[in-house]
Amino acid sequence: MTEAHAEFLQDPEGHASHLDECADCRAIVAGLNAPLSHEPIRIDRLPVAAWEGAAYRSWGFVAACSAVLAVTAIVMCRMAGVSPLHAVSADASISQWRTLLTVMTGALRHATLGWQILFGCAFVAVNTILFLLLRRPTRGIDA
Amino acid sequence: MRKALTLTVIVAATVVTAMVASPSQPLDMEHMTFASAAAMMQRTAVASSLLFVWLVGAVVLTLASPRDIRYSSVEVRVAPLHCAMVGLVALTSFVLTAIVFTYLVPYVVGTPLLIALGVFAILTKIYGMVAIFHAIGTAVAGVRSIDQLSQRRWLRGDIAITVTGLLILGAIRLIPFLGSVVWAIASVFGIGVALATKFGRREPWFLTWRSAAA
Repeated sequence: MTEAHAEFLQDPEGHASHLDECADCRAIVAGLNAPLSHEPIRIDRLPVAAWEGAAYRSWGFVAACSAVLAVTAIVMCRMAGVSPLHAVSADASISQWRTLLTVMTGALRHATLGWQILFGCAFVAVNTILFLLLRRPTRGIDA
Repeated sequence: MRKALTLTVIVAATVVTAMVASPSQPLDMEHMTFASAAAMMQRTAVASSLLFVWLVGAVVLTLASPRDIRYSSVEVRVAPLHCAMVGLVALTSFVLTAIVFTYLVPYVVGTPLLIALGVFAILTKIYGMVAIFHAIGTAVAGVRSIDQLSQRRWLRGDIAITVTGLLILGAIRLIPFLGSVVWAIASVFGIGVALATKFGRREPWFLTWRSAAA
């Protein structure tokens, strides 16, 4: 390795002109698939990673949003004539799900044997597909 | 110039949203009963109250495990189709498994299994929705460069981004019919990403056997 090679490999962007006269280094750069730029890298223009600045806690923003949302909810509930707690508990109740489950189970109990076997097959098939999907590794970048 | 342009875009988007949200036909006041008007008002009141509960829950969860929420948010943006598929299959699996457990209720084992399934499903939905809030907040108001990050005072950090996403999705939810559909789709994505990332823990759900030689 000559001195010109060593200088280029240490600082490729500073000695970019070396590429015009050296086929070996051109092959190395082409193999890396990383085009060299003569412009200096501006760090402030680089995209941020997911974790950068994530730990910052903007309490002012959260408090303002919470206050606006709480006042809106209270005003709307007053206008509708319901208490906010009643509104939340009415929507969060599981009675509709319980009714739905009871109806579906009752219908299945009184169904023919063929339908019950079909339900059993569907149960096994869906859970097998879920099992196979959950075995796939995640693709997200390191957060 | 940039601020004026941003403001114009926001106002235009608000107008378009209002036009989409408002009924295309003028309200038929002659045939609208008092009961239907009161029901509509109550639905809006319930939705806005629930949004506040979601806000409190989202802030608490983001404070408790910011890294997990962030990882799930990245995952749903990188692999949305996979998350949607896992969500749909998981939702179907929850319903079918609940029916099977309801079968077992007359026996002793059915009730605790049903309760465990319900608790797991609710926790999955809550965690997944918070991850979706974070993903939406990042997509809409996320920081793009280090320069932008240093300029922002309020709208940065996991909590602010999550709250922003919640406000956007919450505003969409107030739109009649369309809002419910969008919220339901977000729930499917949320359940999917919660299960796909194992609640952001990046651990495999099932251990796979490999020989020592491999």
